[in-house]
Amino acid sequence: MTTTPEQVPDEVATVDERSGNDADRDAALAVRNLTKTFEDGEEAVRAVDDVSLAIRSGTVVGVLGPNGAGKTTLIKSILGLVVADEGEVRVAGTDVYADQRAAYARVGAMLEGARNVYWKLTVRENLEFFAAVGGESPDALGDRHDNLLEQLSLREKADTPVNDLSRGQKQKVSLACALARDVDVAFLDEPTLGLDVESSVELRREIRRLADQEDMTIVLSSHDMDVVEDICDRVVIMNDGDIIADDAVADLIDVFRTFTYRVVVGGDEDPDGIESGDGDGEPALDSADRDRLADAYGIETFEPRGERTAFDVTLGESERFYDLMDDLREVGVTVQEVESVDPDLEEVFLELTNGDGNRLDAAASGGDRA
Amino acid sequence: MSAGTVDRERVGRESGSGSYRTLLWAMAKKRALLMYRYPLNTFSGLAMTFLFFAMVFFGGQALSSRALTDSLGGIIVGYFLWSVALTSFSGLAWSVTRESQWGTLEQLYMSPFGYGRVMLAHITVRIVESFGWGAATLAFMLALTGESLHFPVETIVIITVLAIAPAIGLGFFFGGLALLYKRVENVFNVLQFVFLGLIASPSLDVFWVRLLPISQGSYLLAMSMQEGRRLWELPAGELALLVGTAVGYFAFGYGAFQWMSRRARRQGLMGQY
Repeated sequence: MTTTPEQVPDEVATVDERSGNDADRDAALAVRNLTKTFEDGEEAVRAVDDVSLAIRSGTVVGVLGPNGAGKTTLIKSILGLVVADEGEVRVAGTDVYADQRAAYARVGAMLEGARNVYWKLTVRENLEFFAAVGGESPDALGDRHDNLLEQLSLREKADTPVNDLSRGQKQKVSLACALARDVDVAFLDEPTLGLDVESSVELRREIRRLADQEDMTIVLSSHDMDVVEDICDRVVIMNDGDIIADDAVADLIDVFRTFTYRVVVGGDEDPDGIESGDGDGEPALDSADRDRLADAYGIETFEPRGERTAFDVTLGESERFYDLMDDLREVGVTVQEVESVDPDLEEVFLELTNGDGNRLDAAASGGDRA
Repeated sequence: MSAGTVDRERVGRESGSGSYRTLLWAMAKKRALLMYRYPLNTFSGLAMTFLFFAMVFFGGQALSSRALTDSLGGIIVGYFLWSVALTSFSGLAWSVTRESQWGTLEQLYMSPFGYGRVMLAHITVRIVESFGWGAATLAFMLALTGESLHFPVETIVIITVLAIAPAIGLGFFFGGLALLYKRVENVFNVLQFVFLGLIASPSLDVFWVRLLPISQGSYLLAMSMQEGRRLWELPAGELALLVGTAVGYFAFGYGAFQWMSRRARRQGLMGQY
């Protein structure tokens, strides 16, 4: 999918926004034409297919996709842990493939969840070890580590071996170790996988804080749509190694927004026996009103609920909502409830990965909304 | 740093406040902590080394007391070298397997020091550790047998390091194989007996045997510890051969490791186990 310029929010920079390498160099993370194929001949699997994207600093980007879509291979190819066949990756302006060591000084990664750390070492020992492996003196980072432990509610567990912590706490230790030194870009693979609600919320809050307050760029993959919708500025959806959608979360949902509403009109009292349909009053809309509304708005069914009537209406654009309200007022009914039934990110994701990708291309390039 | 762009001053910094010495210290501390927190594994290894030697010694005495006494010095030196070489080799080859199992291998790979240098730091720590275990084993053997040897320390350290360099090279080689093929533990187990054979090989009589790993080092170490010869008293040609085999096998193993780790990354096998 190619995002149109008018859909690009401030915090998002696409590769196409400014042509040439200047745009890539200014981005915290720039990926250009990255391609990776495993195996040869008939068994060849193109895990990453000519992927390009650029992310500005301080942005949280979610990478979504069904199993086998190429999310992990994309992240590992960006990091050089999987060697790409073609393409270029720059982290904070440094070419990952040409100068890997310099690039690694700029990134932190949590790729194996709680398995990323040494379980027999304490929380603080892990932080110190990974800071040293990352090229920093642990002694110089004591305050940073204290802050991290504080933010992740691990301060009291600082001297506890990781093995003795809960799964959620282990996961948080893993995140802390990825951030044990100052990095520009953090890659988090399924950061909230297996966490209880409280831990997940805590972790989300910390990820968002890192982006907002420390200007850190965060790329995370997750199966949890709530996480992506909650904390990501932008979402990249992959399928079969290809990016099929790349947009701000709100804008992506907007592409699929049909302005569909469930409307309930009618009497002030909600009679008993709605379910059985045996209300004793007259329906709110008579037959003529229903025909008129059906013609004007394409409403297919009206559901009588005693003195009330419920119906679903798809308006296609926001301005028509006011026309509908005017018409309902004209026929003399009171609007009791209006509920938006537009898709959330999960529905958008399912639509994209199971449906017709061309539809999104058309929509995103300014065509009719689906 | 302004929002939306990257601070140019920060770009290009390869590493921060930590030096390679910091990394070495961190590796040493981690190793010491893991040994402390896996006490059974740590001490059972040492106990097995002692026990195995005791079996060789008492078994040999029962079979041929005189033959054993004649060659006891050589056996002790050989056993010392074997335990040091084995600790260094297995420390490297097994660590790749374990880090892969634990899920920490990719974290080490992403060090700004470079994976090869991280592994060199790791093996440096393991060499120091192997000398510690070797010294303990040596003390145990001398106490058990009542044998006496010469201890020109600087000569012993230099020759032992050069002698085990091929074992480290092999450790890198098999560590690389572990990255690609994962389950190669059986090869590791077989190699400890191969080392034993190489240390006991008749290097004086057959020249080409001296070109094999460890063999030349074993010969020179025995010369130093049994006859009390210092480094400068050893034949220059023999020393040159030792340095040649040490550098050759180490370079081969390290190069193969780098090649195989790149191949593992091409195939997407780095973090899998």
